[in-house]
Amino acid sequence: MSLRKVNPMIEVTSDWYLTLSAILFSIGFLGMMFRKNALIMFMCIELMLNAVNLTFITASKHLGLIDGQIAVFFVLVVAAAEVVVGLAIIVSIFKKQESASVDMLSSSKG
Amino acid sequence: MTEILLFAIPALLIILGALIVVFAKNPVHNAMGLVLTLTSLAIVYITLNATFVAMVQMLVYAGAVMTLFLFVIMMIGVDKPEQSRKEIKGQTFLISGTLILLVSIIVYIGLENGLNWDLLFPESENAIEGTPSLLASSMFTSWVFPFEVISILLIVATTSALALAYEFKKSESND
Amino acid sequence: MEILILAVVILPLLTALFLKVANRFLNELLTNFITINAALLSVAVSFFMFGYLLLDKFKPIKFELFEWYPSPQIIFEFYLDGLSGVMMILISGLSLVIQLFSTSYMSKDEKYTKYFEYFNFFVFSMLLLVLSGNFLVMFFGWELVGLSSYLLISFWYEKKSAAKAGNKAFILNRIGDFGFLIGLMMILNYFETFNFVNIFESVLIKQPSNLDLIILFLLLGAFGKSAQFPLFSWLPDAMEGPTPASALIHAATMVTAGVFMLVRVSPMLQFSELASLTIIGFGLLTALIAAFAAINQHDIKKVLAYSTISQLGFMFIAIGAGAYVAAIFHLVTHAFFKALLFLGAGAVIHEMHHEQNIHKMGGLRKKMPITAAMMGIGTLAISGIPPLAGFWSKDEILASVFSKGGIYYGFWALSLLAAFMTAFYMGRHWLLIFVKEPKNSLENIHEAPKNMTRPLILLGISTIFIGFINTPFFHGLEKVLEETLHHVEVTHLPKGLTLAVLAVLSIGAGFTGLVLAYLIYIFDIISYFKLKIPFINEIKNLSKNVIFINDMGNIVFVKGLKSVSRRVAVTVDAMTIDGIVNGISKYFLQSSKQLSYTQTGLVRNYVVYFGLFTLILVLIFLISPEALA
Repeated sequence: MSLRKVNPMIEVTSDWYLTLSAILFSIGFLGMMFRKNALIMFMCIELMLNAVNLTFITASKHLGLIDGQIAVFFVLVVAAAEVVVGLAIIVSIFKKQESASVDMLSSSKG
Repeated sequence: MTEILLFAIPALLIILGALIVVFAKNPVHNAMGLVLTLTSLAIVYITLNATFVAMVQMLVYAGAVMTLFLFVIMMIGVDKPEQSRKEIKGQTFLISGTLILLVSIIVYIGLENGLNWDLLFPESENAIEGTPSLLASSMFTSWVFPFEVISILLIVATTSALALAYEFKKSESND
Repeated sequence: MEILILAVVILPLLTALFLKVANRFLNELLTNFITINAALLSVAVSFFMFGYLLLDKFKPIKFELFEWYPSPQIIFEFYLDGLSGVMMILISGLSLVIQLFSTSYMSKDEKYTKYFEYFNFFVFSMLLLVLSGNFLVMFFGWELVGLSSYLLISFWYEKKSAAKAGNKAFILNRIGDFGFLIGLMMILNYFETFNFVNIFESVLIKQPSNLDLIILFLLLGAFGKSAQFPLFSWLPDAMEGPTPASALIHAATMVTAGVFMLVRVSPMLQFSELASLTIIGFGLLTALIAAFAAINQHDIKKVLAYSTISQLGFMFIAIGAGAYVAAIFHLVTHAFFKALLFLGAGAVIHEMHHEQNIHKMGGLRKKMPITAAMMGIGTLAISGIPPLAGFWSKDEILASVFSKGGIYYGFWALSLLAAFMTAFYMGRHWLLIFVKEPKNSLENIHEAPKNMTRPLILLGISTIFIGFINTPFFHGLEKVLEETLHHVEVTHLPKGLTLAVLAVLSIGAGFTGLVLAYLIYIFDIISYFKLKIPFINEIKNLSKNVIFINDMGNIVFVKGLKSVSRRVAVTVDAMTIDGIVNGISKYFLQSSKQLSYTQTGLVRNYVVYFGLFTLILVLIFLISPEALA
């Protein structure tokens, strides 16, 4: 690392990508906290999943292994499955109460 | 310099898209922001030598998933305001606590390392190209079992979505 | 030859089974034909066997039916010696006479055939009991006797009191049987055989250290079956059954099973001082309490029931004093005169149209002279007036007790008191039924039918003469039992003048009792001389309620157990166990209720929690990076 500091030329390292991933994840997380629309919350989940994907691919390059990219495929499939089921749930809820706001759904209250 | 630009421009677009996702009022705009983010991410993937993943990202995420989203948005209607019941008890306190924690972690990391993350492993000299053949050779050998499992998951998800959304007519024999 | 033992036992069983199977095809006449002929055959075989035994000098006859279990060897075996021979004759003979009586008494009853079916089943069980060759077969008979007794007590089960009496008899007998069963287990554990002969021989060589305990457990069984204190209260209630059944079961045979069993185990019993004292103590107590209770009963059968208990007490006294021959002698004579009294009472009840209160009778001697005479013989016999049967046997018991000396003088005095009381209440019984001026008109009362009077006369004559089988001048029964008791030290009668004095005292007690009964109940001496006896009403009340033994039992066992179990239920079960369980569940309920407040059901809330804890996780990794590795 000290070698890099000597070099005056700024290089794009894995750290940059990881920072980007962290920022993306944080934004998605903030969205999850503040938005009440179920659809938008799903989009925020997609943001967070993509942040994770970015991390995987960065790691793949950093370590010189292909496995990170394969993990991305799996995450992709899980995300797709989640979207399919989640949207189906939203549609069926919407048919009942004409709203996609998660605050209206509290039947699992203890 | 090109390297930096190739990173910085997509990165900025990603963050912009993400912010649109979070802050836009109109769901269609949110979706568009998400498309922006996902597309820019694909560019980043290319710079990271993951070309096949980038293509899949474009096709599956920016294409199929977003179409699904838009379809549902159109079905539900874009003009529904966000309804909320009374404020959730303790929610403000929790959110502020979480935010403080988040900020303090960021500050801590920034003070400690700046942008240099102290990664556990040094960067590999072995540069790999994420071509379909390379991916497939690994996925269908050492990762074949998770691959099969994940395909089952996908089938289950599809079936359950069908079960959830489809209105079964009550057969008369049930009564 | 030996197989005839099996024939004796199996004949009544076959009769019972046949009556059961052919029940619906039989009218009264056919039933009579079958059962009486079977009984006659049974009596014939019994007498033949007894004669054979007599000619063979009472050498025991064994018959092994089949091997039941190889190790320890248990054989289903029969054993006929003098003791079981006497019992066999007694049972089959009396059952014939009483069945003859029953044909008339039970006539026109709906369950006529069923009655004889049960009756024959009882005879089978009793014969199995007395002819058994080991303890296990005896236990079979013992239990079957209890069962058939239950069936006959609650024969008229439509009557609630009869059903209840049956239950009571069964349950109280169970208590005794429980003791008997434990005794059997201990016997098998120690001797590794059930066979009488083997056990008695090994007892003579080496006595087990817990012999006392074994005997005491067997004794519990005898107390239950023979209605001794404190398990006697079922017998008066058992009078709910048909009177002839009472005569056979609850007077003559079944209740003497305990006495028979104790005489059978006398080779063991003679070594246990403790058991002997227990037997004589409880026997005396029973004799006194039951005699006292009999004084103020108004039910014609209950007087006889208490009298039976009291006489059984006498037999136990004899066993306790070691006078086993006297006990069996009294058993035999008692069987005859008590059967006579019961059948007489049955005839009276039958003619009085099922009126059982002796205060509503009186003056019946003119209407029913034969019954009156026969019951008079029975009364005199039980009171110990010579030369009737009761005198010889009772006097032998009293004299045997006296001859033991020491503390037994006291026992003798108390027995004499019991004998006096016996004469008193039996005198009262007979006088109130047959002599006292009648209150109601007796126009519709006739002498009992011939089928009833003939058995009465038969029994009456037997009662007169049966005493002569074992007098101080002719030791007949003693010779019969000699082989059975040849290892056993039997208490003998005192000789000469002492015996004569004792006999005179005993006759005096009986005579005084009878005279006193006449003076009080007929001559009415109390109001004539305006006597005032202190506490007379209290004593009467005490006698009527059997010194409140039933009530005490009720309080101690029923109410006491109820309250104890209720208390246990409240403290142990409800408070401790339920308390712990409920407390735990309540704790979890409360804490989960508290925790469930975090379950708002609102997704955004969960998201924040999720984020917060993820961040905390990140923080932990940052602070201590080793956690990652």
